[in-house]
Amino acid sequence: MLEAFAAWLGKSPLTAFLENAAWAVPTIQTLHIFCIAIVFGGAAIVNLRVIGWVERDQPMASVLDRFLPPMGWAVLVLLITGALLIASEPNRALFRTVFWVKMGLVAVGVAATFVQRRAVADGPAWAPDALPPRAFQLLSLATLAIWVAVIFAGRWIGYVSGWPGSPT
Amino acid sequence: MSLIDLLSALADTPFAQAIAGSSWIFPTLECFHVIAITLVVGSILVVDLRLLGWASRNRPADVLTAQLTPITWIAFAIALLTGGLMFLAKPVAYSQNLFFRGKLVLLLLAAINMAVFHLVVERRGGGPASRLAAKASGLVSLLIWVAVIAMGRWIGFTVP
Repeated sequence: MLEAFAAWLGKSPLTAFLENAAWAVPTIQTLHIFCIAIVFGGAAIVNLRVIGWVERDQPMASVLDRFLPPMGWAVLVLLITGALLIASEPNRALFRTVFWVKMGLVAVGVAATFVQRRAVADGPAWAPDALPPRAFQLLSLATLAIWVAVIFAGRWIGYVSGWPGSPT
Repeated sequence: MSLIDLLSALADTPFAQAIAGSSWIFPTLECFHVIAITLVVGSILVVDLRLLGWASRNRPADVLTAQLTPITWIAFAIALLTGGLMFLAKPVAYSQNLFFRGKLVLLLLAAINMAVFHLVVERRGGGPASRLAAKASGLVSLLIWVAVIAMGRWIGFTVP
């Protein structure tokens, strides 16, 4: 089924366009990396606030309100640019385990961020200079580690080989 | 001895050969390079958008700068180190590449823009003219850093 999808996508005008315009893929990748900067930079600031390294004088909820919306939009653009990169070379990512590991990690990272937001909304209001409980700090550092792993997995898509027998 | 001679001698060192010949060293350097660059750009973007008045308007720009500058500089040092090590894999080819040269020029422009901001704009205090100058600094910085990312991607497609 995945193979049929890749074959169908490969015959689409979109793939033809992306293959022929030499500027298209590097441009999409530039936008992709810029959006990673928004998500990862934002995640770094939010999660470092949790352990009190930055924005310590700000209530946690207001830090989240400032950074989560642009991060959410950037994730949306990442999904679109990522889909376009798959369309540019349909046999490249879909048949490599590390791509699916990356998608799984993205889902976990997004879910962990929602859990974080919910905990802050429901919990006692975090006043300026207040630090959350240790468990919450550990969740924050784990979330940051997940985003690091996402970047590693993403870069490795280009280097690993596909599943045996998969189209090339 | 020309620059090319020097760079080919560099490429022949066992250290450079180890990077060029390994199947995992270069991709690993790329991963750390992307992590570092996204932290550099992400942290600078927060300050740029504040200078432009587009975000974090309830936070004083100098407070944001003071908090985020350590992240920017540590990440930039890692980007420089990993970039330098990747350069060693093909020093001659990179040095002749238009986009690699463009990236170095852009980094120089980013440094000049930052120096002008800290030494001239920031010291002049409030006033409509310096607010406009601060906005210009933020916009120029934002555009330069997007272009730096673009150059990096084009290097990957054009270095043989």
